[in-house]
Amino acid sequence: MNATALAQNFRENRLAYLYILPSFLVLGFVVLYPFLYNIVISFSNMSLSHFLDWRFVGLEQYRKVFTEPLFYVLFLKTLLWTAVNLFFHVTIGVFLALLLNRPLPGRALFRTLLILPWAVPQYITALTWRGMFNYEFGAINLIMQQVFNLAPVQWLSDPFWAYTAATLTNIWLGFPFMMVIALGGLQSIPRELYEAADVDGASAWQQFWTITAPLLKPVMVPAITLGVIWTFNNFNVIWLVSDGGKPADSTHILVSFVYRQVFNYYRYGYAAALSLVIFGILLAFGIRFIRQTKATEAVY
Amino acid sequence: MRKLAIALALGLLFAGMLYLAFGGSRQDPNELIIWTQDFAPGRVVLDSLLAKFSRENPGLLAKQIYYETEELRSNYIIAGLGGSGPDLVYGPADMVGPLHVMGLIQPYDSLLHAEELANFDPMALVRYQGHLYLLADRIGNHLTLVYNKKILPVPPRTTAELLEIGSRLSRDLNGDGKYDTYALAWNFVEPFFFIPFLGGYGGWVMDDQARPTLNTEATIRASKFITLLRERKIVPFECDLDLANQLFKQGKAAMVINGPWSWGGYIDAGVDIGLARIPQVSETGLWPTPMVSATGYCLNANLTGERRAKAIQLLRFLTAPENVLRYTYALRAIPSRQEARRDSIFVKDPLLLSSQDQLSVGRPMPIAPEMRAIWDAMRPAYQSLLNGRLTPEQAALKMQTDAEKLIREMFAD
Repeated sequence: MNATALAQNFRENRLAYLYILPSFLVLGFVVLYPFLYNIVISFSNMSLSHFLDWRFVGLEQYRKVFTEPLFYVLFLKTLLWTAVNLFFHVTIGVFLALLLNRPLPGRALFRTLLILPWAVPQYITALTWRGMFNYEFGAINLIMQQVFNLAPVQWLSDPFWAYTAATLTNIWLGFPFMMVIALGGLQSIPRELYEAADVDGASAWQQFWTITAPLLKPVMVPAITLGVIWTFNNFNVIWLVSDGGKPADSTHILVSFVYRQVFNYYRYGYAAALSLVIFGILLAFGIRFIRQTKATEAVY
Repeated sequence: MRKLAIALALGLLFAGMLYLAFGGSRQDPNELIIWTQDFAPGRVVLDSLLAKFSRENPGLLAKQIYYETEELRSNYIIAGLGGSGPDLVYGPADMVGPLHVMGLIQPYDSLLHAEELANFDPMALVRYQGHLYLLADRIGNHLTLVYNKKILPVPPRTTAELLEIGSRLSRDLNGDGKYDTYALAWNFVEPFFFIPFLGGYGGWVMDDQARPTLNTEATIRASKFITLLRERKIVPFECDLDLANQLFKQGKAAMVINGPWSWGGYIDAGVDIGLARIPQVSETGLWPTPMVSATGYCLNANLTGERRAKAIQLLRFLTAPENVLRYTYALRAIPSRQEARRDSIFVKDPLLLSSQDQLSVGRPMPIAPEMRAIWDAMRPAYQSLLNGRLTPEQAALKMQTDAEKLIREMFAD
């Protein structure tokens, strides 16, 4: 649209522009300004000893981010965290949606029960799970010992198991969202397509891969994109289940590590640079994923 | 005409937004704000004091806003960056170091007279680099041994006694191979609870120059003692603050190491508690040294002129002997004013007497900002020690090297 057309459009839709102006102003104050400020800080030496008297240091903070081996370790852990969570969120969510899409007795009750983990405030769920992971008194180890005769696991004091505990909690918290989205997608698929497939003699498996999966894709891809971004940046679960990265700061993902750098060590410049790196990673992923999967294209 | 009315309405909306964004936060000159991280019973006392202050000073209104400790510090830093924030900020003495380095609090030196400070406990006058930055209303905040009198009428006086009593009190009652009761519990997650033992073996966290002193024989020996307690199952295998409290309240732990913030909860739960010193270390003959800190008020660096004078007026009121004594009655807190300690409660309340007895062997918590790095360096190594991934020697070395690294990073350009 050239400048003349834009001006013409503005004249014709003046009232509409006026109506959306307040939200733009609010967005500017609460999103754009902090974001731009974060960019500025990422090029500065703002820290405990240079809080009000900070100065620009160019790319120094970015150099620190990329030269610290810990960044790569945390990046890989974050990728693993995201991939494992998303895999289970989507597979469990779609599986349950397929079951709930069938004419089951008490379907509404099952739906309600399965959405509960999502409806309960996240911090309550996370703290409850943390209690259940206690070595001696937690429900998980008690069940493992008394029902399955297994040895108790140091869920919260061993780095590997603490990471696993946080992952299990987040899987529990995340599958209902994917289930709801998938269920909505399934209900929008015309029944005639399955009836035609039945007439053609297609098996249930063939129907799933040739009808259900392609028609679910436009619904699931944006949900997965959102899921990746949420999980990659899921501070709450990691922080609450592992009580701030415990044991020994071993359960951090990038976003919880940033929090620690800011609020425990006052490394504002460094943390701002790392935040922008995380933003860049997610932005690149989002664009690439949506293009690759052609998520925004119509399917029928 | 209709378009004009819409435009007018939108104009008013914008004006309102701009007022909220830029003008709405301007403080009323007669309204004084305190940000506090005090726990609930303390805030109840503060509320009554602020109401009294407002009654005695017509035209002035004092209010408190509560934040959790970490949230208080981060919000105060953000507010300070924007040139605003509360008039007074209330918290433990260790907030002074970072807030001073950031230039967010101002000293009281020229605002309070020497004679009016004379009656304060020296620990209540928190100075940093020679300047007074925090005036406390309470001192203490220290760990003590809390015991259930019904299970254990007389607490152990030495670690040798603790080991002996511990092996009797930690028991598997139903023979399922799992212990149902423990002699002692405390929060294993936070190294704050390790400090008394460190001192009991002759160590401390930093030297006079705020350099970490963690890779020492004292750290190693204290670590070995704690791992011994776990090996003998005198303490649970894993234990955080919540679990320690639950075990003690349910009578499944005879003793717990905790601070004054916990006593009210134990009494409310019906536990007949007694306080005692954390047992003397038999090997060294030294008493464990819980960290002792003052809690009090810092003055916002952005305050000047008349507003600052009003904030000082409020500060004087809140630290007056009769007012700090209210916390003693409500919380068994040790007041910052020596004059207040002449009250009869100090000769008849056993909890208060025991608390003071423990305080007498405690050590002041360092207020240098390096302390933050030391906490964060100690925590992972301490946790790794407890989960068996590090030996005491490795843990001591890791604490030291991590603390040095974090301090370098915190102060890096």
